[in-house]
Amino acid sequence: MHWPTVGLAGLLCAAGVASGEVSFSRDVAPVLASKCSQCHSSASKMGGLDLTAEADLRRVAGNGTLYRRVTGQTQPQMPMGGRLTDQQIALIKNWVDSGAKIDTATTIASSAPQFTEAQRKYWFFQPVAKPARVAGADNQIDALIDAKLSAKHLHPNPPADKITLLRRATLDLTGLPPTAEETQAFLADDSPKAFEKVVDRLLASPHYGERWGREWLDLARYADTNGFKADETRPNIWRYRDYVIQSFNQDKPYDRFVKEQIAGDEAYPGNLDARVATGFLRHYTDETNQPVMELRRQEILTDLTDTVGGVFMGMTMACARCHDHKFDPILQKDYYRLQAFFANIRADDNEVLLKGADLEAYQSKLADWDKRTKAIRDELDALVEPYAKQERDYYMPRFSTGTQQAINTPPDQRTPYQQLLAFQGMPQITHSWDTFSKKLKGDQKARFDELTAQLKSLDETYKPKPPVAQTVIDNGNTAPPTFILGGGEWTARGAEVQPGFLSILDPGDARITAPQGLNTTGRRLALANWLTNPNNPLTARVMVNRIWQGHFGTGIVASSSDFGTVGEQPTNRPLLDYLAATFVDNGWSVKKLHRAIMLSAAYRQSSTANEAAIAADPDNKLLWRYPRRRAEGEVVRDSMLMVSGKLNMKMGGPGIRPELPAGVNAVGYASWPVEKDSAEADRRSVYVFVKRVLTYPMFEAFDAPNAGESCPRRFSTVVPSQALTMMNDKQVIEWSQALAGRVLNDAGLDPAQRIERAYRLALARPPSAAEKTSVSDFLKSQTTLVAGRLAADEKVLLPENMPTNMDQAQGAAFVDFCHALISSNEFMYIN
Amino acid sequence: MLDRLRHHWNVSSRREFFTRAGSGLAGIALTSMLAEAAKSDPLAPKAPHHPPLAKSVIFLFMEGGPSHVDLFDPKPALSKLDGKPIPDSIGKPKQTSRGTANNTLMASKRTWKQYGESGMWVSDWYQNTAAHVDDMTIIRSCWADGLNHVGSVCQMNTGSILAGRPSMGAWVTYGLGTANQNLPSFVVMTDDRDPLGGTNNWSAGFLPAVYQGTQFRRGDSPILDLKPPAGISDAQQKNELGLLRSLNELWARDKQEDSELDARIRSYELAYQMQSSAADAVDLTRESAATKTLYGLDDPSCSVFGANCLMARRLVERGVRFIELYSGSGSGWDAHEHIEQNHGKWCKASDKPIAGLLTDLKQRGLLKDTLVVWGGEFGRTPFNELSDGRDHNPWGFTMWMAGGGAKGGQYVGSTDEIGMRAADRPVHVHDIHASILWMLGLDHMQTTYLHNGRSERPTVLAGEIVKEIWA
Repeated sequence: MHWPTVGLAGLLCAAGVASGEVSFSRDVAPVLASKCSQCHSSASKMGGLDLTAEADLRRVAGNGTLYRRVTGQTQPQMPMGGRLTDQQIALIKNWVDSGAKIDTATTIASSAPQFTEAQRKYWFFQPVAKPARVAGADNQIDALIDAKLSAKHLHPNPPADKITLLRRATLDLTGLPPTAEETQAFLADDSPKAFEKVVDRLLASPHYGERWGREWLDLARYADTNGFKADETRPNIWRYRDYVIQSFNQDKPYDRFVKEQIAGDEAYPGNLDARVATGFLRHYTDETNQPVMELRRQEILTDLTDTVGGVFMGMTMACARCHDHKFDPILQKDYYRLQAFFANIRADDNEVLLKGADLEAYQSKLADWDKRTKAIRDELDALVEPYAKQERDYYMPRFSTGTQQAINTPPDQRTPYQQLLAFQGMPQITHSWDTFSKKLKGDQKARFDELTAQLKSLDETYKPKPPVAQTVIDNGNTAPPTFILGGGEWTARGAEVQPGFLSILDPGDARITAPQGLNTTGRRLALANWLTNPNNPLTARVMVNRIWQGHFGTGIVASSSDFGTVGEQPTNRPLLDYLAATFVDNGWSVKKLHRAIMLSAAYRQSSTANEAAIAADPDNKLLWRYPRRRAEGEVVRDSMLMVSGKLNMKMGGPGIRPELPAGVNAVGYASWPVEKDSAEADRRSVYVFVKRVLTYPMFEAFDAPNAGESCPRRFSTVVPSQALTMMNDKQVIEWSQALAGRVLNDAGLDPAQRIERAYRLALARPPSAAEKTSVSDFLKSQTTLVAGRLAADEKVLLPENMPTNMDQAQGAAFVDFCHALISSNEFMYIN
Repeated sequence: MLDRLRHHWNVSSRREFFTRAGSGLAGIALTSMLAEAAKSDPLAPKAPHHPPLAKSVIFLFMEGGPSHVDLFDPKPALSKLDGKPIPDSIGKPKQTSRGTANNTLMASKRTWKQYGESGMWVSDWYQNTAAHVDDMTIIRSCWADGLNHVGSVCQMNTGSILAGRPSMGAWVTYGLGTANQNLPSFVVMTDDRDPLGGTNNWSAGFLPAVYQGTQFRRGDSPILDLKPPAGISDAQQKNELGLLRSLNELWARDKQEDSELDARIRSYELAYQMQSSAADAVDLTRESAATKTLYGLDDPSCSVFGANCLMARRLVERGVRFIELYSGSGSGWDAHEHIEQNHGKWCKASDKPIAGLLTDLKQRGLLKDTLVVWGGEFGRTPFNELSDGRDHNPWGFTMWMAGGGAKGGQYVGSTDEIGMRAADRPVHVHDIHASILWMLGLDHMQTTYLHNGRSERPTVLAGEIVKEIWA
């Protein structure tokens, strides 16, 4: 509601227009054409209004709608997302007041979207062009990088030393530091294939999937909870996390990986992994107590459109939610064409993961349970029904009108759209029997208690508990229509669209074939097939760039979910295309891609700098050196656990909750029941429960994303809260105590050897002479300090399982040394 | 291309952006040491768009929805129509939170008085705060979009009823940088449970996490991991940090060009200083007995919020830019029934502390630079719910502003005769946000951040400044 606050006469003066002289063609039509016609022309006809049609124009001018909308006296104010200037409003007002004369044959020209030549030629939409082999080059990746470097008279760095390289590769591929034994073995191997063997060993390690799966989970906005106020747990969603880890470990071809996540149920109906995979589409945040189901559904569809566009297509679709993309050739229509592939999905949180004989056995057990308990359950239903009805009647008015209508329509008469609304709305007014038990009195209450006791005992004996996935499915084989939405609002319906791809690549409707024998539309399968077509110019480029980013910190396209014109341009397009083409040629093998990248000299070079190169390429875009970077919070935590000897390597299963720092208010909806078994708490970070309203503080300090939306690349900050975590967090201190205990319990080490042992465990190398001196000096002064405190009867922190014959002050000082070691930059960096 | 998008951050240099400066909670200290990096420190002070009226904001958030018709917006007509349905001339709301639109109107049971030279009306529930009306602009015509708490609290903080956007404190920190050396620039304090929606309400949304609010915990350790665990003395910690520094310096010897490593070394020194400075900021033992009494710390019914108000003043003195204090956090003010008891309790809990805060800010000369904002996520209905309560009212409610350039002793806007909808000069949440930003020197149309290819701003797609507040 923004009424003009200045008198109209004043405005007209300001606009330089004398009253009565407003010309439609000169003054008004340009405003309508530039500000209104994109939504209100024959093409989109938002709200049924087509300003290119004279009748429509006369109607809204004559009845005052036009003026009220542009001033905001009727909401929403137009144009959506940008108010007209006072002068423009004054012109319209004056034109309307002077009779709304239309002085041209046509009203305003319809603004049919046209792609420019530059947009059509934009490199990302062109087929991947595999560069010709560079003759005489051992390694094509290096040849393509060297071509860019030599153009700037730059040279790549010499190789990194072996220990640095081993630490780099091990942290990179597994998220863990190398063990002392692995370091020994690599140093002892003089063969030219020594590093190649290391890479193959690491790629075969199950920890590889835990590390690279975590990167994918960032993209998938994976979380174990719904988000919003209640932030309920999704009890079985962890199977998706395990599926991702396994898929990386199995080197599942990326095209298959994509297909399973978009349309696993439609593409591989008998395959249980594929059913879990479709959980990718289940990771949207969900406001479960939202009373407007239309809004709730639209928010989910928005999330899916933006996520799929960014993750698989490398396009920022979100811009086109309200209008044609201002810079990239994405039409608003295309946004909703992409959205339409998902128009019929709904959550399926009880997808039973059984097949064949197991499934049959489960079904017959279930039928048996059903038969044994039906009478009891029916009676319980009848007992609580009066109260359940009261509750329904009380809550029903909260719902939007459309939701109420959907729920009140008999199920077999609901439209597909109403089915979806009712499916989402019903849980809000459906409560368990227990909810009403307090309202029952006397005999009824006694009977209720008797029945629930019976049922409980029968459930325990007969109710089967199959493994269950949380995923999505199509709600039958007929999808509700999809409309272009004004301003992305579910209420502002424009023209209907069919599923389709980016118009610039394929302007027609997608060809959809419903899979035989399945109650589904086949829409998602059509999208998955399009995405994984080897000729699709987007998919392979986007993925190889993500893998590159994982190894070098920055992708060849730095904005790794935005390959459009507003994003970053590739620093080396031939290299990107070489990798993409080779990726597809190699059957979309991600492991082969890692291998090719890691065996390049570019990956193996040192990270040291030289002034000339810094002057020519300060951001190292052309890769004249290996880019040093800080490891993620998960890697820092796992490394600390590993070197302290505490890391529990157990894989898979429901998320775990390690201890929180004192002072976190983890109550109510933010509750965080800490693992009772400390070994469970000491598992790898990828298994830490991802709670949307409470990011695990240690990860949050180190820039973990909040899982509200897909995260293509993490920020890497240096903030004092990271230092506070390292200095004061109880767990970090405990790991320091454990590392100290681990070293001190190594029999037969003299003080110098102890220092060396700690260095080798933490940093895979012996200390330098200068470091030895610093540490020895420190241990001396710290021992004196601690001895003074012990003499004053103060509490000190000792190594875990400290040898009994050891001096306490020396032990405590050694803890502090270990603490400094795992807080050091070297420990936290991939160098 | 990129020049067209103001405040755009080049993604490829984003890492360098943060780390060359080695910033974070306390970017300036580092930046001054690294002059080269000053322009790329995300928390370095930035020039405002125009001269600011206020330097800091204290947002007093009465969570759950305080009843404007029982506090700041007296309605004689409501008394006359007590027990009657909503007149047709006004019309029932289409949808309410609890399906209460057919309920009868309910008169306010409060007694009302005019206060100050301006003679502005306030009810007896807020008689201490009322003494400050001559410093207050009372906006009686606020309106918002959401009907339920979690969405509406979220909108009052972020502009959107849907979680995920940056909160105002985050936008302010992004737009202006920090004005202090060793404290967060955006601090949140609660007096009860966590607000509905939790951390979403002070999230940085799609802005980098450095801009998010820091929830100060009650007690002497407001920030997580602020203190070493028992068993480590200060001297011991200091000595260990000395070792860490020398190890880091030895490693960095052949990496001198990498200022991020340098920044990380310094961040430990800063963290060490924060251990004492942050604890000092919340140490109320340094306040005089008279000051404590002023804020009601001697009265158990208001001492929790009073302590938060007093801490807010201490934070303002230390250059914290945006402080949000929740009263009744976790929807305390949500008086669907028994409004007398409910509001009686929360008004008592907040009235004296707010009055004390205004008095104290003024006597210390801080009020002119400190904008104090009072309000909830919405107001309450003039019609009853469950006979002695009121339902949610986002169509018309009251907020007020004092200090920081806000004119005193004036109303902006009004509601209809029963207080149901904004009538004159409706002021939307976006307009409130635009105005707060303006008073801090930021134009909401120019405060933008490129996210998913869109130039996002704090007021989403709307928002206009309400000039009357200060002009």
